[in-house]
Amino acid sequence: MHLDSAQEKTLRGELGEAKQFAMEIVSKVGDAVGADGLVPIKSAHVLAHYSSLHDAGVEVLERFANSGGKFAVPTSVDPASIDLQNWKSFGIHEDYARQQFRLCDAYAKMGGMRCWTCVQYQVCNFPKEGDVVAWAESSAVVFANSVLGSRSNKITAGMDIACAILGLTPRFGMLLDENRRAGVVFRLGLKSLTDLDYRSIGFFIGRNAGARVPSLAGLPSSVTSDQIKHLGAGAAAAGPVTMIHFPGITPGSKTIAEASGGAKAEEVEITRSNLSNIESDLNQTSELPDLVAFGVPHLSVNELGELARLIDGRKLKRGVKMYAYTSSQAYDMAERTGISATIERTGARISHSTDAEISPLKALGFNTVLTNSAKLAEIVSSEGEIRVGYAPQKEIIEKVTS
Amino acid sequence: MKPWLKKGKGLVVGRAHGKALVSLRAFTFAHGVDPSTGVVTDVRSDVRGMNVKGKILFYPFGKGSTTASSWFLETVRLGNNPAAVVTEAVDLSAVIGSVMARVVYGKEIPVMFGVPHTSYVDLKSEEEVFLDAGKGEVRTEE
Repeated sequence: MHLDSAQEKTLRGELGEAKQFAMEIVSKVGDAVGADGLVPIKSAHVLAHYSSLHDAGVEVLERFANSGGKFAVPTSVDPASIDLQNWKSFGIHEDYARQQFRLCDAYAKMGGMRCWTCVQYQVCNFPKEGDVVAWAESSAVVFANSVLGSRSNKITAGMDIACAILGLTPRFGMLLDENRRAGVVFRLGLKSLTDLDYRSIGFFIGRNAGARVPSLAGLPSSVTSDQIKHLGAGAAAAGPVTMIHFPGITPGSKTIAEASGGAKAEEVEITRSNLSNIESDLNQTSELPDLVAFGVPHLSVNELGELARLIDGRKLKRGVKMYAYTSSQAYDMAERTGISATIERTGARISHSTDAEISPLKALGFNTVLTNSAKLAEIVSSEGEIRVGYAPQKEIIEKVTS
Repeated sequence: MKPWLKKGKGLVVGRAHGKALVSLRAFTFAHGVDPSTGVVTDVRSDVRGMNVKGKILFYPFGKGSTTASSWFLETVRLGNNPAAVVTEAVDLSAVIGSVMARVVYGKEIPVMFGVPHTSYVDLKSEEEVFLDAGKGEVRTEE
């Protein structure tokens, strides 16, 4: 990959150790993917959760932070592995929390925005159409490319921090027009979709698109950005999808033909039996769970309100915990508007700044998890340690409350 | 067995030798290798139960979470990392993990790609392998 003279200087270490380390990572990745050069980014989104980064990741982040690393662009961060405010009451061990807080401190020292969420585009990081960004978090990358019309590749741990420090990313993949055209069209002929259907549709697309960029026709016009968020998360959990063209929603794709750029694309019908197959695949147990998890990715305040409405006046059954995961900002708003009080009266809890798939569920003693998140169900089942059930939110509430 | 020699492209240069560990399926370190032992734990892997430590690790391509580079680095921190990685398609997790390993732990873990996985079939796990990523060569005889 070509580096200009300023970038060469950075690589030689003339702009300090942190930038040199960052440039070593980014230039190697550029070489690996055959990029022609580096381009400026408008924002970054990075990972700093202990469950995946481990002690080595703590050392990497501290090395960046202690050698003068500062984020060159607005930078947000994915959820932590613990609720940063109420972790003790969720049963987190002190040694585990200490390592997470080392990651938090290193991240803050580099100037990152302290909104620990996987839905940064609903909270604190708002690129506009055409902006190039370098985001980790597969579900957010789908949202950026498909709904905002921004351009991002799925950025790997370590490279995320490097891009944020340099304010640059290699030009390849989804930054290029020719790689953004739809190569397969999914057609949905179903009416009255449940919350679970949106996730299963995404999962089906993720499994069947392969390396092609998909487009999806036939979503109802009532579709909300929250529903698209969960659809995209399901797709990214099931395959390498980083963008879905939604005609009329995705900037530059008013129609299916526009999404494909005039080229011919295979058509795939999504039927009720396709979705049932996904459901039975992800739903591995019907036993009463010891944890119900909502909010992978994070629930918006609207979704917390909807949960409150569904669960109001009920009581959780003995032996079942229910956590609704959200951002700190939505948590605060739910507190102020009485949504939290309604949810907590039932025995359920709202947890913020963390999320189920990156928290130490097994160490916390959970053996069976029930969720309406295809992403969580996929991750938990592939680890093989915890049994998982997958069902619509309404059904789950009826099952675990009285 | 006949001498085995394949050409690829070196992404992180360096030389290594060790026993081969050959997977013909998509591979990931994230939730797929236990960093504290080096043992492959991924339920969908064809080398589940084998150890990556000190091996020349062959797999066609990566899969799964973008955190795999950190899992890779944790095996390095604990001394349970492979000696080198050879793939068919670029696996960015291995590339980034290897760059971080050199800077943070001073360990050289060469990474090569462009070696078709169909050619791994002629290579057995536990066979002694020599690799020179600078030359883009991996072979069974020095």
